[in-house]
This record gives sequence, structure tokens and C-alpha cells, in this order.
Amino acid sequence: MPGPPTSSTRDVMMIFNASSAIARILLMSVVALILSMPAVAFGQSAQATASDPTNAGKAVFSKANCMGCHKWHGNGGGGYGGDALSLRKTQLTREQIIETVSCGRPTTGMPFFVRGAYDEVKCYGMNRAEAGSHMPPEAGTLLRQKDIEAVADYVLAHIKGAGEPTYAECVAFFSSTSRVCDIYKTQAQKPDDATTSTGKSQ
Amino acid sequence: MERLSGHATITRRARLLAIAAATGGMLAALPAFAADEVNQERLLNVDKEPGNWLHHHQNYSAHRFSSLKEINRDTVKNLKVAWTMHLGGIEPGGIWSHGGLEGTPIAENGFLYVTDGWGSVYKIDAHGGRGQLVWKMDPKTDRDWAGAVACCGVDNRGVALWGNLVISHTLDGRLIATNKETGQVAWQRTVADPDKGEVITGAPLIVKNMAITGVAGAEYGIRGWIAATDLTTQKELWRTHTIPGKGEAGSDTWKDSNNAAASGGGSTWVTGSYDPATDTIIWGVGNPGPDWDNEYRPGDNLYTDSSLALDATTGKIKWHYQHTPNDPYDYDSVAENVLVDIPGPSGPRKLALEADRNGFAYAIDRTTGKFIWGLPFVKKVTWTKGLDPESGKPIEYDANKPVQTYIASVTPSRTNLETDICPGNMGGKNWPPTAYNPDLKLWYIPVIESCNRIKVEVMTPDKLKPREFWTGGGPSQPFKITGSVTAIDVTTGKIAGKMETPFPNLGGILATPDLVFSGQPSGEVMALDAKSLQKLWEFNTGGGVNAPPMTFTVDGKQYLAILVGLGGAWDKWFIDSTPELKKIQPGSMLYVFAL
Repeated sequence: MPGPPTSSTRDVMMIFNASSAIARILLMSVVALILSMPAVAFGQSAQATASDPTNAGKAVFSKANCMGCHKWHGNGGGGYGGDALSLRKTQLTREQIIETVSCGRPTTGMPFFVRGAYDEVKCYGMNRAEAGSHMPPEAGTLLRQKDIEAVADYVLAHIKGAGEPTYAECVAFFSSTSRVCDIYKTQAQKPDDATTSTGKSQ
Repeated sequence: MERLSGHATITRRARLLAIAAATGGMLAALPAFAADEVNQERLLNVDKEPGNWLHHHQNYSAHRFSSLKEINRDTVKNLKVAWTMHLGGIEPGGIWSHGGLEGTPIAENGFLYVTDGWGSVYKIDAHGGRGQLVWKMDPKTDRDWAGAVACCGVDNRGVALWGNLVISHTLDGRLIATNKETGQVAWQRTVADPDKGEVITGAPLIVKNMAITGVAGAEYGIRGWIAATDLTTQKELWRTHTIPGKGEAGSDTWKDSNNAAASGGGSTWVTGSYDPATDTIIWGVGNPGPDWDNEYRPGDNLYTDSSLALDATTGKIKWHYQHTPNDPYDYDSVAENVLVDIPGPSGPRKLALEADRNGFAYAIDRTTGKFIWGLPFVKKVTWTKGLDPESGKPIEYDANKPVQTYIASVTPSRTNLETDICPGNMGGKNWPPTAYNPDLKLWYIPVIESCNRIKVEVMTPDKLKPREFWTGGGPSQPFKITGSVTAIDVTTGKIAGKMETPFPNLGGILATPDLVFSGQPSGEVMALDAKSLQKLWEFNTGGGVNAPPMTFTVDGKQYLAILVGLGGAWDKWFIDSTPELKKIQPGSMLYVFAL
């Protein structure tokens, strides 16, 4: 389950030192943040459609309330709940995303979503006792392995590497009559009466 | 913008017939003054109809005091559930996994009017010792649009009554008038714009044929306002921004070069009060934005964290009193101002009382806006050594400093990027309302006894994006948070009693002649002795109490009502400080108690 470790973290993992395992996760996160990476073209262009194989993952993204912190667009951001990392700028691989969703991120608010994490399922080489106060919170909705893989594939296909959120992406995500996407419209997409809705009596 | 024809022109005769039918012939028992149309005369004289609860805060002075005394110190031990009703509105939307209940029911002539978090209005017939739904008006709130920019939950704190209309707000920014008899929408008007990060959670205040609306969104870079809508013409009469425009008085308290005032916050999401003697609306104003990076916005940042007095007819600002200049803590002053007259050395003193997120309770002269007294009502304050006895400003406040640091070692700043602060950013005292007993001159504060950890994010103008958080950092919750009901003797400005509770008070308070009612997010509704604060009665609702209790009569019998359903900011952002509350399930239920 752990992602590809560096040689130094491999040594650490062999002795199952819990606190060092946390250091490894933090290191991984920091590396992920610091490394620059060119935007991946498919991230911006590929939209979920009816036949999109990642539709199941999109449903998980909503159902498991990933959008509660990372927002629908995945950019996360600071606020009352702390700073959810940007999935658009993430450097994590598919395996690392699956691990992070499954096990959460110790010392942060990112919860674990797999049943039995830190119990039957060892996470970052730790069980509950070893994780101690660094134990991440348990998610409100637990996910099956298949769902976690699906949401990781959705993030890879539609979010990771994408630039700023677009109207097309927003409409593809919500596919509803909500006005949630209106602010992403370019001027050309706005209907003539778009500015008349506020502060006016009907 | 639908406008349904016909409903506004139902004849008085038809209405009376409808009422007569609905009340099963009880019409004859109604007192003559309690007609079914609400007018200014009735709103000014609610003490003449004590069985009704016509204002969000019970009266224009926001006392939340009922003179009903069938349920009293001696009888309260026999208080039992009379009936309950499941409501809806816990659906997810935006960043929220469920809604909650923070509303105060309105009661008129045996009918209750309550809202759920998404703004549906329920009219309930409470006659005959049971509750029966008469109608439900679902405003079809745009959940994803509004829920994505609601900082602190899917909330709606209730309705107001005017004429034959029920006046309510929706999270997505509308003011809606619903026909009281039919439940049909008579008209609606867009007041706030979620595209700008504006949402509405407060109940409207009705003053002289106007609905006064406050706005939320200081965590999303709004420029706050208070707006008045004419209930006859449905036109906006005035809109007073809480952040002055360029060149206006107070604009020199924004000294930056970022145009910080344009996104300076100052939201107004708690219903205010009204002093008819001077035709003054007194309304609380929230935090400046970005919340925790005050170096982005040097200056005192008026009128954030202030009590604001407005001419009710014009909306013009009469006076202000600011509690936390250049606030680096998210210490809103949105709380209701409680209007109290007490004897003074040279005639009656007309006070406005406010219990602030910053942990201090204030008494201001409401004719001049001058400080009278202030004191901490929480046990732990670390950001200041106290208030200057003359000005009421924090002792460390320095008018010559563009960026205030108060006690710098604990204050979030660009040189103190991670720090623990008490009270935490929830307060102190948050939106849950206080209550005032005019006989005992005791003012009861629902207290959140808290500290939390703040991480500062240095903000730059390019980080300001529509509909995205604009907080300059955020809190985490490594400390346990508890609460209390704290009583202040308004004649002395001293604490008269404190009843500590294991959890923060997230619901607010009701006062009666010899009792105080309140609740806990762990489920308990309780009655305390008004003087000793000793607990006399308790019932566990099995849900989380996140709303204030109120009381009313039907058929001459007194009832206590409270909405139960934990939502709001707490169980998303602050639950780690009260881990036991993680087991509280989302819910949506009205409880009504009687002897």
C-alpha cells in the first residue's frame, strides 16, 4: 500500500518506527508541494460525460464529501477548516492518492476512508496505538476499495494538473440547474440579463 | 421571480373563516386585540399579548423574556413533552453534508411558524394539545450555489410576521413573503448575491412596513450591508454598507493600498433590535476580512466588530461603538444588542448591551454610543489584559498604530504565524441569543468557553477570488471547549452567577419571571432558577440543541418550544474540541413541552 519510498524512508519503514513514518508522510507532502510540475493537458480538457469511465469516481467525490474541504474543483484552500491541499496542484501518484484516501493524513484533518484503517489495515506501517495522537479522523462515509480506486481515477482524469476551474468543468461536475457555475462563465457566455438579478425588485 | 396573483387579495372575511375553521371554532376565545393581521401597533406592544411570540427576539428590545408563569420554579418539575414534529431540511448542499436548526419559532394565536436550514417555512396548528402541519412553503433554495459559500452551516433562524404575510429569508439571498393562510408565495425579492459570497441566515426584523435584512459572508470577501425593503412596494428603501465607501466617514480607517475595504467583510447575519423612542435600529457588525491577517488591512477597519445605530427611516448611521479595532482574531460583533433602561444617577440610563465574541460584555449608552461598562464573561481571556475603564477599548489598543498587536505574544500576525488564543474564534458568545429579565435586571449570556489554535496565511490581492474563502488563515481545535450560562447584574455591571456546562452553549436563552431555559448540543433542554442558576429540570431530546427556546400559550395553556438539530459551524469545523458530540446525528425536530 505505501507509495514508492526513498531509500532512506525504506530503511525507516523496515523498523516500523511510527513517528518516522509520520515524518515520511510529511516529507512526501512537502515534496509534493515543492516540486513543480507542468500542467497535464488532459486534466483541463477531459470532461465527465455520460460514458465517462470516471463517472463512478465523480459520484464518490460527492458522496464521500471530498468537496466539503477540497471543493468541487479540487483546489481546496484555507478557511475555517484549515487548509485542504489542492488536488489540482498535487504531485501524488495514483497509488499515493489511494493510500491518502484510504488512510487519511496523520496530523491533519484529512480523514481515513477505509474500514479498519489502523486496525486490520495497517496504514503507513502504523496501527492505532502507534499513530497515537497523530491518528487522522475517521471519515463520515467509509468507502470500499473499488470506490477509492474510482475516486483516485476521477481525480487523475479531471482534477490533477488542471489549471483554474472553468465553466465547462463546473457544469460537468454539477450537471444541474444550480447557479453554482455562473461565476465561471466568460463574458461571452453570460446572458444579457445576467447582471439584473441582484438588488432589484421583481 | 414568481408572483402569484390573487393570494394577496384574499378578503378579510375569507381569512377569518379560514381561521375559524382551522381553530375549530376557537375564534371566540381569542382576545379582541389579537387580530390575525400583524401591524406596527402590535409589534410595539407585544407585552399586551403575552401568549404570542411575535418578534424573533421576542420584543424590539431583544429581551427574549416572557411574562408567562404557569411554568415556574415550583411547577417546572412536571414539564413533559406535549408533542413533537419531524421537520425536513437536512439535505446536503455545497460544502455541507447536512443542514441544522437554529431558528426561533414565532407564535401567534395558537399557530407556530418555524423554518428549517434551507429556508422552508412550516405553519403548525398547536391547538388541542398537539401539532398539526397546516402548510409548508419550500423556497427551493439553490443548495449548491448557496451552500458552497455558507461559511458556517445550512442555517435559517426564523421568520417574521407582517399583515397577512410570513416574511422569511433563504440562504441563496431572497426575501420571501408567504400568505399566512394559504402558504402560497405572495412575492419574493433578491436581496443578497451568492455570486459575491453573500448569503442570508438571519430572521428579518420588521419595522414600520419595512423588512430589515442582514447578510453573511465576511469569510468570502464581501462588503457587508444592512438593507430595508418596503413590504408594500417590495422596493429597496435603503442599503447601508458596514464598510464606508471611498471618501465617506470612516473610510480613513482602511489605510492599505490593497483596496482592502472593498472586500473588508463586516457581515450582519444576526437580527438586530429597534428603539422606537428614537427610531433607531441597532445592529451588530461582524469581523473584517481577511480574518487573521490584519496587516493586510491596517487601520481600525470601521465599522467591523461594531454595534451600529441606524436611523430606521433613512438607514443613515447615527453612532457606532467598535469593540476590537483592526481585529486579528475573527471576533465578530454580530450579536444582538439588548436594549435596557435602568435607573441612573441623573434619570434613567438607556443602555444597549452586547456580549461579544471577544469575551467581553458591553453596556453602551444607546443615545450617544458612549461606553458605560464592560467586563469579561468568560473565564479565560489571553488577547488583552482588559478594557480601558473610560473608553472600553482594549488596554493595549494604540490609535497611532496602523496594525494592532494587543498582547503580541499570543496574537496571530505575520510574525506570529501559529498561536493559541482565548477566546477562540467562536467566542465568547456567538449568535445564540442572550435573554434579559427586566424584573431581576439580570442578563443571561450563552457562553462558549474556548481557546483555539490559529495559523496565519499572509494574504495578497491575487488570492482574493469570488466565492472562495478569504480568511488569511484558519483555526484548529487542540483544546476542549466547554460553556456556561452566565448572569450579569445590569445595575452593577458585575457577574451575578455562572452555571458551567460540559459543552458550549450553541442554542441561546429564554428568560421567564423566575426561570431561565437553555440547551446543550449534547441534547439536553434545561430549566434553571433565574436567581441561583441551579438546574431545576432537564430533558434529553436525543439530538443536538442548536436553537433557542421560546414560550407561548394556546387555549390558555403555556407551552415551551425548541427546535432540535445540530448543524451550523460546529459539527464541521469545531467538532474536534468536543469529540463527544461526534455521535450526535443530524436531525430536524420540533419539541413542544407543557405541564
